[in-house]
Amino acid sequence: MIRYLPLVVKNAIRNRRRTALTLVSVATSLCLLGTLMALYRSFFYSETPEYQAHRLIVRNKVSLANPLRLSYLPLIRKVAGVQEATIYQFFAGSYKDDTPSESFARFAVESERLFRIFPEFRLSEEEKYAFLHERTAAIVGIKTARSLNMKLGDRVTLRGDIFPVNVDLIIRGIFQAGTADDESMYFHYDYLNESLRAGERDTVGAFIVRMDGPESANAVIKGIDDQFRNAPLQTKTETEKAFQLSFLAMLGNVKAFLLSICAAVTFTILLVTGNTMAMAVRERTREVGVLKTLGFTPGIILGLLVGEALVLSLTGGLLGMGLAALACAVLRSGPSFGADLSQLAVAPSVIAIGLGISLMIGFISSLIPAFTASRRPILESLRVNN
Amino acid sequence: MSEVVIETRNLTKEFARDEFRIAALKHASIQINKGDFVALMGPSGSGKSTLLHLIAAMDRPSNGDIRVLGEDLRSLSDGAIARWRNAHVGFIFQSFNLLPVLTALENVELPLKLTRMAKSERTAHATKALQLVGLGERLTHTPRQLSGGQEQRVAIARAIVTDPDLILADEPTGNLDAASARDVLEMLVTLNKEFGKTIVMVTHDPHSAKSASSVRYLEKGELLPPGAKPVDWDA
Ligand SMILES: Nc1ncnc2c1ncn2[C@@H]1O[C@H](COP(=O)(O)OP(=O)(O)OP(=O)(O)O)[C@@H](O)[C@H]1O
Ligand SMILES: [Mg+2]
Repeated sequence: MIRYLPLVVKNAIRNRRRTALTLVSVATSLCLLGTLMALYRSFFYSETPEYQAHRLIVRNKVSLANPLRLSYLPLIRKVAGVQEATIYQFFAGSYKDDTPSESFARFAVESERLFRIFPEFRLSEEEKYAFLHERTAAIVGIKTARSLNMKLGDRVTLRGDIFPVNVDLIIRGIFQAGTADDESMYFHYDYLNESLRAGERDTVGAFIVRMDGPESANAVIKGIDDQFRNAPLQTKTETEKAFQLSFLAMLGNVKAFLLSICAAVTFTILLVTGNTMAMAVRERTREVGVLKTLGFTPGIILGLLVGEALVLSLTGGLLGMGLAALACAVLRSGPSFGADLSQLAVAPSVIAIGLGISLMIGFISSLIPAFTASRRPILESLRVNN
Repeated sequence: MSEVVIETRNLTKEFARDEFRIAALKHASIQINKGDFVALMGPSGSGKSTLLHLIAAMDRPSNGDIRVLGEDLRSLSDGAIARWRNAHVGFIFQSFNLLPVLTALENVELPLKLTRMAKSERTAHATKALQLVGLGERLTHTPRQLSGGQEQRVAIARAIVTDPDLILADEPTGNLDAASARDVLEMLVTLNKEFGKTIVMVTHDPHSAKSASSVRYLEKGELLPPGAKPVDWDA
């Protein structure tokens, strides 16, 4: 079959403009498809990183908007399998003009426990020391520090909304996590709590727990939730991964959404290439008759025509996967809007599926015109004038 | 005693057009020997091409028998016919029918791709065929860069590259100027005389027909007996 490759390639590029348009449309669609598949994979299939697999989030069973009591914390720490637990208080609020580019996540925590639960946070010992020993200190992730031009010693004011106070902070550390936390800020819960009026204190939106190991997750989840089964406020404990996905779920059925876009893209590109292939085959009807006169069998002709479509769609697919890798790199470095895209990449499995879809598109789009052309009687083909 | 290469008996071909059936060829019986150069002549629509196509097994007869090179063509499957044609028949068209995306050399090499020949051997054969038709200097030209006469010579090289026993040509000079037509006819004569190829050529042109060793006429789908011409045939 390799001996026919030069002919197949020459035929594939004979109409430069059509070839270019086909390649661009296949590449664009597969870029979109590859990126969506990479997103899908990173949301639903990616291996949970070691540090994350050790963490659980405890929140009010009713909803995230309903807080728990600070008094739960010592009880959580006592549950078997819990190594460490701390307050994980989301401070909504706003920074400066609160434009999308100025948005980042901020949490009030118990600073001395924070680093035991988030071992992936890297910052210098001096910065860590400064953060731990100053009531109004804060640390900020490197991405946010860069994009909002925050420096050590800068003063930052967060205006409260859920909490009716403004917090004035000083940046004492800039850390690198390699996760979505690179866009987060952490400051002292004590400082926040003491700023509140007496009746508003000692509530906590969520707790974060570090367990012995990922394998104890189910036991620890059950242990914590059982602990508060008969309490006035019941808890819902879940892995950090599941917790992040529940944010995504608030955007609707992300899974079905992504899959239906993928299906629509695939279908559209199938129609486009199908039309192109039908055109390409039709204008070559006479040549098919000539090849048959030379002794080419219908089977070989079918192979030549389908092969041509495969060459085009595979080239488009490879281009598309390359573009998808670029797109993922851009998404990785840009703001994440809450979803953890730090691990987003076009994995080999995504490339394999993408190229598989490309080949399938080439095959399906060319099969019918190629089959018809290969079976048409010689004289009928030769009579056609293009 | 000459070897019979082509033998038809009561060969008939009908085409369905709307509800009518048109007999393009009626009960044609012909015998062509090895080394013959036969010209087929006759008015337009008389069935010349139809007969040639049946000999080349490019179409199947409605009735009658046809044996070419010892094969009963009616008994062969489509795949077997394709392989048979590749090995034994070189076909030359009026409109050359070269593939525009391929160079002269690649066009000529095309029929050899169906054989077991290695690349180097195929190139050697194709080059030699092109040298034989006087185009040894034009190997990398595409059809668009060639004149009509040169294109037809490439087509002849393509037809002979597999060293077929039989060369079939349907008005090979029909699209050529007088000088190019003369070249092409000369080549066919050489192939016939020096290489012993059996040739059947359809032509409109009495002058071309003179290159052949014998002429057979068709009229309204009927093959006239040897020596007979259609009425009011002025040539
Ligand atoms: N595929 C077809 N369908 C219907 N009729 C056909 C078909 N092919 C040929 N015919 C008819 O058969 C008859 C003989 O055609 P053929 O092509 O053999 O003539 P010809 O002698 O080669 O003519 P010309 O000199 O014009 O090439 C004509 O009447 C033609 O219209
Ligand atoms: Mg004709």
